Amino acid sequence: MTKDLSKYVGYTFEPYAYRVEAGKIREFALAIGDDNPIYHDRDVAQQSGFRDIPLPPTFSTVIEMWAGPSFEHLIEVLELDPLRVLHGKQRYDYGSVICAGDEITACSRIVAAESKSRMNLFTLVTEYANQQGEQVLRAESVIIEMQERMRAKEGKG
Amino acid sequence: MKELPILHKQAITHTQLVRYAGASGDFNPIHTVVPVAKQAGLQDVIAHGMLVMGFAGQALTEWFPRQYLRSFQVRFSRMTYPGEQLSVSGQLVESMVRDGEERWLGELIVTNQTGEAKLKGTFEVWKGEPEGSENLPLIP
Repeated sequence: MTKDLSKYVGYTFEPYAYRVEAGKIREFALAIGDDNPIYHDRDVAQQSGFRDIPLPPTFSTVIEMWAGPSFEHLIEVLELDPLRVLHGKQRYDYGSVICAGDEITACSRIVAAESKSRMNLFTLVTEYANQQGEQVLRAESVIIEMQERMRAKEGKG
Repeated sequence: MKELPILHKQAITHTQLVRYAGASGDFNPIHTVVPVAKQAGLQDVIAHGMLVMGFAGQALTEWFPRQYLRSFQVRFSRMTYPGEQLSVSGQLVESMVRDGEERWLGELIVTNQTGEAKLKGTFEVWKGEPEGSENLPLIP
């Protein structure tokens, strides 16, 4: 399954907004099994030096999936076979810590798309700014589409 | 190199994957719907890569104050199935200066109960105020 990937490079999703809520942070931390009290007790968070309940290091996936390009949206835009899609790499660069109550605006774009080792690789970059317009986070994801059917013993996350 | 305390997680369950799907918003059915996973050629549903990275993120914030984290990157290497029990190990590799501050560069790895690597990653953390300096309040 060879396809021309160059047309996807530069594709930019509609900018999106997300208000960070303490309850959603708690739900996310519980799903991971992370019982650090800074994620569910505002007093503990403030005693630890935060303005409010802080974002766990991988929480921004929630902002992307709920407010930006969801899995279904990515499948549609990149014309992917959902049964062959895996997550290859993920990177975060952190600025000031995002906390509950913050109004985040984000923009996601495809910065690279290439075929390699029977895989189609797409690199998605998302930049996040807070209500002061300060850049607070950058995320970079590599999404893999296997060109062949997946095998149970191989593959990625 | 300084070894960091290992974080041992409980075995992943199907319920945890449903819960993570709802929390994260990643509803790719390969993580939650067994017939779809089988259609994809897998023996069972597979854990979200971001759940496994979330375990590593939990370890990072147990090792260091959340405010000190500057970057965190991983490469996923193997799929994870329900029933697998994962652990996060990490170490400080070297001291460095970036953006005018002293940082630690570290490495981490998430493995299952048989030692199979699920992801490998690196991170940078601020070292914090040198000992003896005035204890400045953190303004995240």
